[in-house]
Amino acid sequence: MNYIYIWKEIRHHRHRTLVNVLGIAVGIALFVSINAVSDAYQKAISLPFKNIGADIVVQRAEKRSLDAAQAPASMRGIRLPFSNQILSSQDMEKLKTISGIDAMATSLLLWEFEKGGFKTIMGVDLTAPSLGPIKVKDWLAQGRFPAKTGEAVLEKHFAKFHKVKLKDTIMIGGHSFNVVGLLEIKEGSQVASANIYLPLADAQSLLAGTTGNINTVYLHMKNPAQIDEIKRQISKTLSGITVTSSDSFLELMGGMSQISSQFSLVVSLVALAGAFFLIIKTMIGNLVERSREIGILKAVGWTNSDVQKQLMGETFLQSVMGGVAGIAAGYLISYLLGYLSIPVSTPWELNLTPAFAKDAATAVKTIRLPVSFSAGLMAAALVLSLFAGGLASYFMGRRMSKMKPVDILRRL
Amino acid sequence: MNNGDILMGVNLSKKYSNLEVVKDVSLNVKEGEFVSLVGKSGCGKTTLLSLLSGLEKPTKGQVTLNSKDITGATEEELALFRREYVGFIFQSFNLIPTLSAWENVALPLFPIKMSNDQRRKRAIELLEQMEMGPRIEHLPAALSGGEKQRVAIARALANHPKIVFADEPTGNLDSATGDAIMAILSELHKKQGMTMLMVTHEPELAKTADRVIRMQDGEVMK
Repeated sequence: MNYIYIWKEIRHHRHRTLVNVLGIAVGIALFVSINAVSDAYQKAISLPFKNIGADIVVQRAEKRSLDAAQAPASMRGIRLPFSNQILSSQDMEKLKTISGIDAMATSLLLWEFEKGGFKTIMGVDLTAPSLGPIKVKDWLAQGRFPAKTGEAVLEKHFAKFHKVKLKDTIMIGGHSFNVVGLLEIKEGSQVASANIYLPLADAQSLLAGTTGNINTVYLHMKNPAQIDEIKRQISKTLSGITVTSSDSFLELMGGMSQISSQFSLVVSLVALAGAFFLIIKTMIGNLVERSREIGILKAVGWTNSDVQKQLMGETFLQSVMGGVAGIAAGYLISYLLGYLSIPVSTPWELNLTPAFAKDAATAVKTIRLPVSFSAGLMAAALVLSLFAGGLASYFMGRRMSKMKPVDILRRL
Repeated sequence: MNNGDILMGVNLSKKYSNLEVVKDVSLNVKEGEFVSLVGKSGCGKTTLLSLLSGLEKPTKGQVTLNSKDITGATEEELALFRREYVGFIFQSFNLIPTLSAWENVALPLFPIKMSNDQRRKRAIELLEQMEMGPRIEHLPAALSGGEKQRVAIARALANHPKIVFADEPTGNLDSATGDAIMAILSELHKKQGMTMLMVTHEPELAKTADRVIRMQDGEVMK
């Protein structure tokens, strides 16, 4: 392989090089952007669980059949959400027997209905600081998180709407709480998005006539690959239980996200196959155009292997150029697509607000597509561009080896 | 093979479908000899040159070059054989348009393990011999017909060949330039003892050679 010759061929035949490089670049750009966007969809769907550090959420819904769009006429004061009934101590004991669970946290979600509105109140487990809705403490905008009984943190927009400031007091279920902090809920955290956060014990004391109750359990797995298996075990062990994970969002979004994950592979492969076909066709076309040159090389003593090495060198350089250009273009397309917002619907059992509430539409949150660009995707794109070049070289080599110098030179 | 013969073709025939282009031709070329093959267009002289130089395989007969029977050699073996023992000069120069004059001369040396500086040195030495010293970096497009053929002659000599095959080396040149090229070939033969087999359709040019072989309708005239 002669590098001077490779470089001169590429530089001299700019048009030919550009067509080859563009062919590879388009295929690679499509592959990169389709996969980056598909990954972003998967990330968007997993965000609500990721933001609270949980793999699985366990709840028990009310048994009676319910028309979720209609509020019962007698509802006033503090009550349990329909989807979050009390989980008994027996339920908790059974949960603890299931293997594969790394960490467990609990919370108590309450609704308070008043004349003209409602509040969602989340009692958080301060003893498990890295799992469950307590993770919202990382998003404090002002003040601090409750450290003792009688303290509360408010969601910033709720506080603003109700004209409550830091160090004010707020009445919940007839009890007075000091507002010690304001927080802003991070995008894609609807699973933990309550109006008010209290220490678990305070929330438990609001629920009249009972003590030590919880109605949601957050689980973190030792091995995330076992999520489906553990979900099955929980459902089997605890009857009438609701077990949710990121997949619940996926099922709800159905079409787009599911299609996106399967579709991305198919579309990117089709795009690549199309690009490969074009590259091979163009390069073999170039070979015909270069038959005179190949005839000369063979006549002066170049073997098939010498000619093939030379062509491979050119193809390799073009593949690298096309691969790098394709990755850059794919990155740019993905970056621009990152400005898109997608709606992520929250499953009924994970929606903290009453379904009949006016703002039930908040169950559908829009999330900016979290497009990111992994080194693995970049490496895969580069490998694929080189594979395309290798494939083209292989076919070119086969075609070229059949060319006899005398046949070519006789035509001149 | 007779003593001193570097090239020998015995009972060579070449058929394309039903058309026999070369018919039972036998000839030999001695080392240091300048032989010209003359005949009208289409008489089979270029085909005979292709058979003798290992560019093409005969339908029948045997070719021995530098004491080696190349008749049954594979394409790869023939390529290596041409690289080592044979130089070519074509009517249409056949230079690579993207490479400079010196790189075209060094073309047969590219697959050989040697440094680029050594290749360049050898190419420049040959180009200077062809009085092309000031044109070494020029692309073929910037050279005249005569200059292109000088580069092609230099290329034919790059690998120190045992024999040079020239196919109508002046065919694309005006008579003055053609004469100059013939003078170079003649000098190569006389001063350096280069063995040459030249194909031409011009009897006058053929006379430059030590021996003239006439061809007609695929056969050598006795």
